[in-house]
Amino acid sequence: MSRSEAVSEVPAKAARVRCFTDELPLLAGVAAVLGGAVLLMAGDNFALNILATTFLMAGLATAWNVIGGFGGQFSLCHGVFFAEGAYLTANGVVHLGLSPWLSLAPAAVLGAVTALAISWPAFRLRGPFFAIATMTFSEVAYVLANYFDSVTGGAQGIRVPYHAGWLNMIFPGRIAYAWIMLGFLCCCLAASLLLLRSRLGYYLQAVRDNEAAAQASGIDVLRTKLLGFAISGGLTAIGGSVFMMYVRVVDPPTLLTLSDVGVRFALIALIGGVGTGYGPLLGALLVVPLEAWLRASVGAYVPGANLIVLGAVLVLAALFFRQGLAGALDRLLARRPGRRGAAAA
Amino acid sequence: MSTLLSLRGVSKRFGGLLAVNGVSMDVAPGELVSIIGPNGAGKTTLFNLLTGQLTPSTGTIALRGAEINRLPPQARARLGFGRTFQIAQTLTTLTALENAMIGGFMHHRDLRGAAARAMAALELVGLQDRAGVKGSLLTLSERRRLEVARALALEPDIVLLDEVMAGLNPTEIGHMVHLVQTLNDGGLTFLVIEHNLKVVRQFSNRVLVLHRGAMLAHGTADEVLSNPAVVEAYVGKSRQ
Ligand SMILES: Nc1ncnc2c1ncn2[C@@H]1O[C@H](COP(=O)(O)OP(=O)(O)OP(=O)(O)O)[C@@H](O)[C@H]1O
Ligand SMILES: [Mg+2]
Repeated sequence: MSRSEAVSEVPAKAARVRCFTDELPLLAGVAAVLGGAVLLMAGDNFALNILATTFLMAGLATAWNVIGGFGGQFSLCHGVFFAEGAYLTANGVVHLGLSPWLSLAPAAVLGAVTALAISWPAFRLRGPFFAIATMTFSEVAYVLANYFDSVTGGAQGIRVPYHAGWLNMIFPGRIAYAWIMLGFLCCCLAASLLLLRSRLGYYLQAVRDNEAAAQASGIDVLRTKLLGFAISGGLTAIGGSVFMMYVRVVDPPTLLTLSDVGVRFALIALIGGVGTGYGPLLGALLVVPLEAWLRASVGAYVPGANLIVLGAVLVLAALFFRQGLAGALDRLLARRPGRRGAAAA
Repeated sequence: MSTLLSLRGVSKRFGGLLAVNGVSMDVAPGELVSIIGPNGAGKTTLFNLLTGQLTPSTGTIALRGAEINRLPPQARARLGFGRTFQIAQTLTTLTALENAMIGGFMHHRDLRGAAARAMAALELVGLQDRAGVKGSLLTLSERRRLEVARALALEPDIVLLDEVMAGLNPTEIGHMVHLVQTLNDGGLTFLVIEHNLKVVRQFSNRVLVLHRGAMLAHGTADEVLSNPAVVEAYVGKSRQ
């Protein structure tokens, strides 16, 4: 019996693919390192704010990457789902006295449903035309947010009053927000890795690489894109909810300025490594602290200089890290054993 | 004899061009039918009509007696069609194994099941040692064989091969012919577009000759290849 088992095990072993469980050790390690950074910075509010923002942006870029990276659908309307999460949570607190924690799940549902509604017509378009269509949705949402002031507070914005407490997701110290954002990031990473190691994740990548091959393999292209977009939109809306409680006051420009929100999620993912599990996190770890530092140093003397430097970083990344930081890291790690082999020979 | 696939007066018009013109034929389960014809005869277009990349302008296509004219490609794949493309449609960012897994997922939702199915398909086409290589790094010959692996991983009832031997070396052609014959002996139905007449003679039950979209001849390989009209239109022309 042991003999036949050994024989039947050969193809199974050869066919080994990375499953979600294989991803868990690295995910736990990454969470531990980021958590360690929070502990190290305890007491330094400036650093904690940068960490919280980095984690939030990393989570949002990871969420964008689900459809923008795995699915290859370059959405620029993720600010819409982000804004929905923020407004839903704010209205829950202000008008219904609802704990923000209770609005996370409804925010995800709202984000997912809106994503379906937006992308169903937009997926008739491809490539840059799809991107432009989604951009239009984002601009329309901006106008609507200004107009429906009973929900959004209009141009004045909507404010959540300060009542500190766990249940209200409002804290006197900044460290709690860093933990919450880290929690959000870990949820996004886990969801993204789970997807990457599932049938839907592979279907999304197949659709991105070659629609004809995907269809001939029995994949419903539209359905696959819609599901990917819904998951991405749902996660993004949760990010909007926690962002709302982090800043406690938001207006339409904060939530829906294309260059600050929708485009930014995409850029961070692109710099870090689009379509990879950890690329968006790497991108956020580089871009967000760099931005904060530039704003504080260069931007203080020459207004706008920080943007010029950031633009240069983007260009350099596009030129030299075609597969983002994750791709560069991958190549570096792959080269090491090769070097050893060359040295031995 | 029951019919697996039946075509009745199937035509496809592209503007002023009748690319496929009134093709009628029946394919029984377990048959291996070759489709030959000069360049531009409409062979690939006929495949596209069968697997749903195109819909016929007139005529009907039926699988196991049910009309499938308007079904999209993914639905036809689920009904049992597996196909390769004349220009290999490789998923370039995925590995060879993952490419084949895309087919394996059809009947195996879980990763391990799909991977095992995919690995078995890669072994059939001799790509097991290239399982971990990215699609973009595969050679033309490997990409063609990967097309076959992805189609076989679907566990199809009927397989459509569009010039899979092109770009393969003689050893690889030998392997591919042997694989197709073995699977066909096991009961799998094949429609094969093939320019290599030696191969066509070797493994076909029947041969269909297309010329300017229409069926020029139809029968056993020997009958068809000795038909003067075929020699005139196809063999003669290609030798000029
Ligand atoms: N989508 C299309 N639109 C317009 N014309 C097309 C289209 N697809 C094919 N054709 C034309 O239809 C005719 C048949 O093409 P098809 O690709 O089916 O030929 P084929 O027999 O496969 O040829 P080959 O041996 O070169 O692969 C050609 O004249 C081709 O230019
Ligand atoms: Mg052809």
